[in-house]
Amino acid sequence: MKMSSFKWLFGRNSEFWPTNMKTGMWAWVGHRLTGLLLVVYVFLHLSFLSQASIGSKNFADLMKVTAEPAFVFMDFLLVCAVIYHAMNGFRVVLFDMGIGIRRQKQVFWIMMAIAAVLVVGAFYVLFSHGLFDGAWF
Amino acid sequence: MAEQRIATSKVAGTWAWFLQRLSAGLLVILLATHIFLDHYAQVGADITVSWVHERLGQVLYIAVDYSMLALVLFHGLNGTRTVLFDFEMFVKRRKAVDIGLWILGIAMLVWGIVILWPFIHG
Repeated sequence: MKMSSFKWLFGRNSEFWPTNMKTGMWAWVGHRLTGLLLVVYVFLHLSFLSQASIGSKNFADLMKVTAEPAFVFMDFLLVCAVIYHAMNGFRVVLFDMGIGIRRQKQVFWIMMAIAAVLVVGAFYVLFSHGLFDGAWF
Repeated sequence: MAEQRIATSKVAGTWAWFLQRLSAGLLVILLATHIFLDHYAQVGADITVSWVHERLGQVLYIAVDYSMLALVLFHGLNGTRTVLFDFEMFVKRRKAVDIGLWILGIAMLVWGIVILWPFIHG
């Protein structure tokens, strides 16, 4: 069956092959990937907090883990995913309202410019508090 | 060879579309507030059980946390449903997908409520 064929879906002649994808398609793929990633995050978040809620000793130990630079960096990537998903989501809602469809590429880059500002701001706050040395706890 | 495809939006339904936008709008407001107030406004603060407990003494905090949980689960799983309906094998099993996602969502909601409970009661 063609629908379930991997090659049909992702092969060289498919709409998902990188060189076949235009701006709008990249935006769509990015929205889905970040969306699914964030769903997985909610699972991880709940399982992490379920361990933390067992007792205060557990909680303190787990909070130490969250202060590790690698963990904070993962948090930063999470924020990036949220920012991208939210800004592209705005773009989708604008199109639903019939605004900017003919200029969808420009709208995408405007949204990405706003997203970039937010990402840089988020990075700056973490960096200025020692993201890479993990020394603030 | 042209593949006959039904638009995913037609399969998923208008309510799914509308509620996805509504939950998105609410989540943008709640998450922006949450990320800023709880993480960025006090980067480096020592997070302790008593601090979390004190914060959750306010009804507003409990309401915001639980609403975020419910909204994020709805938005995430409804989004997953849309992705699944891009594949014929899931469109054919529409009912099973719906029931499965509802069970998963409610189970995770209850799980989340139970997790936060000890922090509220101390």
